Amino acid sequence: MQENSRLMIEAREVSKFYGAFQALKNVSFSVRDGEKVVIIGPSGSGKSTILRSINRLETIDRGTIIVDGMDVSDPKVDICKVREEIGMVFQSFNLFPHKTVLENLTLAQTVVRKRNRREAEQIALELLKKVGIAEKAAAYPAKLSGGQQQRVAIARSLAMNPKAILFDEPTSALDPEMIGEVLDVMKNLAQEGMTMVVVTHEMGFAREVADRVIFMDHGQIVEEGTPEHFFTSPDHERAKLFLSQIL
Amino acid sequence: MSKNPTSHTPIDVGDGAAIPNKNDAGLFTAWRIAFFGAIFVSLYLAFGKSDPYYEIFKFVPDGILVTFKVTFGAILLATCIGLITGLGRISDNRFINGAASLYVEVIRGIPLLVQIFYIYYALGRFVKIPDMLSAIIAMAVCYGAYMGEVFRAGIQSIPKGQMEAALSLGMSRGQAMRQVILPQAFKVVLPPIGNEFIALLKDSSLVSILAVSDLLRRGREYASETFSYFETYTVIALIYLVMTLFFSKLIGIMEERLNAGK
Repeated sequence: MQENSRLMIEAREVSKFYGAFQALKNVSFSVRDGEKVVIIGPSGSGKSTILRSINRLETIDRGTIIVDGMDVSDPKVDICKVREEIGMVFQSFNLFPHKTVLENLTLAQTVVRKRNRREAEQIALELLKKVGIAEKAAAYPAKLSGGQQQRVAIARSLAMNPKAILFDEPTSALDPEMIGEVLDVMKNLAQEGMTMVVVTHEMGFAREVADRVIFMDHGQIVEEGTPEHFFTSPDHERAKLFLSQIL
Repeated sequence: MSKNPTSHTPIDVGDGAAIPNKNDAGLFTAWRIAFFGAIFVSLYLAFGKSDPYYEIFKFVPDGILVTFKVTFGAILLATCIGLITGLGRISDNRFINGAASLYVEVIRGIPLLVQIFYIYYALGRFVKIPDMLSAIIAMAVCYGAYMGEVFRAGIQSIPKGQMEAALSLGMSRGQAMRQVILPQAFKVVLPPIGNEFIALLKDSSLVSILAVSDLLRRGREYASETFSYFETYTVIALIYLVMTLFFSKLIGIMEERLNAGK
């Protein structure tokens, strides 16, 4: 799709070990500006680990990861600068329970982006409206349903004006009836051109939204391609087996 | 991965001080009987039996004030020491972590009475500070170690995802700690700190062996002059009991308020 746009994320020969266990084996991939990449694979395949390596929530043992021109794998690089630009949405939402929905959205804006409170609140309210939850601005996260919490978490991430957002199984902790509302928000984001890397088990979402699907197994990228190709005629046996198990 | 990431695991650090709980009817009535009983007995002794109780009740209150000063001073200082120790115990920095752990291990391995003697005389050897301040420092150093464990447990009871979420928004570790982790941890550690406060109130009687005229020491002073040992220590025990029960109740109420606010 965006063949000529610049590279937003580039991972080269990334390896990671937990003791003797190798969680990532020479993983290389790249994400261009505006691209939507979905990473799928069985649990324990390393898909969350590679995603979390992008903003250094996990450190890697070998290889390099370049994000927006900054070398994440270089310990001397100020990782906060990278994280300011790359949002993240977690499986378990991780909203701050001691702060209201609005404060969840304004905290990093004021502390990290140094915006004044009025400006931050204005941005926050607009984003809450966008994810369809403006009326809950004054509520505490505990009063919200899982779907609502995850939408707030997405809005919190957007409040930092990120250049890309990483989604780590954003719907896996949700009750089935709430998955749709979160996926809708994500689809809207995709349409607006947000660069997204999504680890998910939602194959419908992958098929509809992804520019590219990466299939991982045992810490390796087994197959990478367009969703049409991957879902209809995958090249590798392991991918075929995986698809036959989940579809 | 849990479905309810915001719920904290309750931590249980504390000793003997029974904080009354509305749901626990037996304890609640026991508290009433003990508290109002102690007040009634005190009033009866002071005004009904007057001699020598009235004199004792007139003589010892100076000590109550000192006991309060030592207790409040020590709990404040111990909380500060505890926070720093707790942060040190979870630090990735090996030196800081080692120092904090060493402090906790050393303090926990020495009887409180021995520590109070030691710190008091060690301080006295190098610096000239008032006796009361030395006593407060001695108590705070001891309790700081226990408090450090309370804070460590409190901070660690906050789900890992909270730190990750804060970091992934671009906050530094310090910012994340101040803005996200500690405000949540304080709520968790408040009940155990209440327990430590009660324990400290009682243990503050140990400073009577130093040149600090707390409640117990005032009692000893009176008793050694008049030889009314039994009467004096009856009064001392009653006053400690009323104070301890009063603060237990107060902390219990505060805790209830805190839970209601959730």
